[in-house]
Amino acid sequence: MNILVPVKSVIDVDLNIRVKDGAVVEEGMNYVLNRWDETAVEAALQLKEADEGEVTVISVGPDKAGEALRKSLAMGADRAIHVNDPAAVGSDSFGFARILAKAAQRGSYDLIITGKQSQDTDMGGTGAIMAELLGLPAVINVIDVKVGEGGKLNVHRLADAGREVLELTLPALITSNDSLNEPRLASLRGIMAAKKKPMEVLTLADLGVDADQVGAAGSRIEVLEFMSPPERAAGQKFEGDEEETTRTVMDKLVNEAKIFA
Amino acid sequence: MAKILVVAETKNGELRKATLEIMTKARQEKLETDAVLVGSGVKGVADTLAGHGAGTVYVADDASLDIFTLAQHVAAVADAAGQAQATQVWFSVSEMSRALAPALAGRLDGCYVSDVMGIEMSGGDLTVIRPAMATKVFQKVKFSKDGVRVLTIRSGAFDVAEATPTGANVVELATPEADARAVAKEVLKEETGEIDLGEATTVVSVGRGVKGPEGVEFVRPLVEALGAAYGASRAVVDSGWMPYNAQVGQTGRVVNPDVYFAVGVSGAIQHLAGMSGSKLIVAVNKDADAPIFSVADYGIVGDLFKAVPILVEEIKKQKK
Ligand SMILES: Cc1cc2nc3c(=O)[nH]c(=O)nc-3n(C[C@H](O)[C@H](O)[C@H](O)COP(=O)(O)OP(=O)(O)OC[C@H]3O[C@@H](n4cnc5c(N)ncnc54)[C@H](O)[C@@H]3O)c2cc1C
Ligand SMILES: Nc1ncnc2c1ncn2[C@@H]1O[C@H](COP(=O)(O)O)[C@@H](O)[C@H]1O
Repeated sequence: MNILVPVKSVIDVDLNIRVKDGAVVEEGMNYVLNRWDETAVEAALQLKEADEGEVTVISVGPDKAGEALRKSLAMGADRAIHVNDPAAVGSDSFGFARILAKAAQRGSYDLIITGKQSQDTDMGGTGAIMAELLGLPAVINVIDVKVGEGGKLNVHRLADAGREVLELTLPALITSNDSLNEPRLASLRGIMAAKKKPMEVLTLADLGVDADQVGAAGSRIEVLEFMSPPERAAGQKFEGDEEETTRTVMDKLVNEAKIFA
Repeated sequence: MAKILVVAETKNGELRKATLEIMTKARQEKLETDAVLVGSGVKGVADTLAGHGAGTVYVADDASLDIFTLAQHVAAVADAAGQAQATQVWFSVSEMSRALAPALAGRLDGCYVSDVMGIEMSGGDLTVIRPAMATKVFQKVKFSKDGVRVLTIRSGAFDVAEATPTGANVVELATPEADARAVAKEVLKEETGEIDLGEATTVVSVGRGVKGPEGVEFVRPLVEALGAAYGASRAVVDSGWMPYNAQVGQTGRVVNPDVYFAVGVSGAIQHLAGMSGSKLIVAVNKDADAPIFSVADYGIVGDLFKAVPILVEEIKKQKK
């Protein structure tokens, strides 16, 4: 099975994020492989190990996108494509989907696995839009995937009422929920081996993508401003014997917060 | 002029509160609004939608639509959007819309924005507020291109107005064909309790601090005494102590109840992203430095196995 995994370098959201003049302060920020993409890479590696074939990772972005690709290669992906073009900067999910779809058409992939969402935008659009552009069947928010009979995939999707079980004929696209697996750590050997793996660098022109359709120019949405969320008023914390602290809190819930009124 | 199509969602044959919230919002903004219902045995709620202001209710009601499949649902909603000449399609946030809304935007060559918490209308177009970066920031977003605006809206963002059902103007949609490449086999139903997490006014969530499935049951009397919905952290669902759809957080359900009890939950940012909009937060955790206390209005630093029975006892007194 040949698998394409789009991966993105995102701001490390575990760090303290500051907003200044309506923008996120990027200075001093770290960029990491999007956590949901790490899951997608792991899923691809497991499917490949159960079968055969190649795992290709692709990222659209400036030099820092190389970070996501190197980490994916170190985990075990076979080759990488880096779409590095200033005109792609500022794309929304639609723009990235358009570029990724064009790149997918250059190869012959049985399966595309994207993350369910990017940790920086939390948008969750690229995978489904990409499947529409490619005319592929898609299953969004996958929590389990296995190779079934006749080369089909048995897929479980997180749904409102439980889990939906699907049988998927390839080629297809799925997006990964973080509960799909526990991504492996890259070994030192993996990191060394990654340096020798093929990394293709492409521009939008190489892919035949019209620069007006992507990047900030083609973006269908515009972020006017970033804001810090409203801060919650400081709370009250009670330490000591549970008998006492719990009854104190109950008293406050009744008489101060009046939650039973 | 803006023309809204609301994609209605039902549960056990009833409209979800989240759908009524966005119907109410559209009505408050005096926006011309239609609705679309896709499923099996869903036609019965068309009149309720009409009562909430739907001019026309597009309905695709067929046994083959009982289980969600992306292909059929996208085709039905796209059909309705076309007939309604919708300029905006509004979804409530759900596992269904997380798949359906972006696919629809792709199908209609439109614009897509998820997780909207606030809407400002100006000159027939809209600006929205949404969280990003695990809710560490909010973004104000406008649409910068033509094309249908497809948005998913968080529940709890708006109130529901009273309405009396009226005879709906129903337009039946042709049942879209199933996609043989993605065959829905079954839904493994998993429920954590009686009350839906997304619609509850009180939520109790447990974390790894409950130590195991027995701990989940140990806390259940608190859930019952409060008449709450029962949620969990990812550590709990990943351990298999509760089903996946009980998960509250960035990857799970986003809840905005009046009161949220976090019991043995550390309060990782991905969990906070799903509950920090709760009006009042109560936390029980034995670690005084647990991040959950940074958002809790009332914190009990202590052993949940000691605190929970006392809470249950005291709440029962109040409810009498
Ligand atoms: C991409 C991504 C998405 C994620 N999405 C989600 C999500 O949607 N929802 C989510 O919840 N997590 C999510 N997570 C996981 C998250 O980062 C945390 O790992 C998880 O929330 C931890 O769960 P927990 O608080 O139950 O467990 P822990 O962090 O292990 O905390 C257990 C807590 O219980 C307390 N405790 C232990 N014993 C007792 C006792 N006897 N009495 C009282 N307190 C006790 C401990 O002090 C501790 O604070 C996500 C992670 C990633 C990377
Ligand atoms: N610039 C990008 N390069 C590669 N993959 C991307 C990019 N942007 C988004 N993706 C993929 O699309 C998924 C969802 O993205 P989003 O719509 O931004 O939430 C991510 O998890 C990635 O798999």
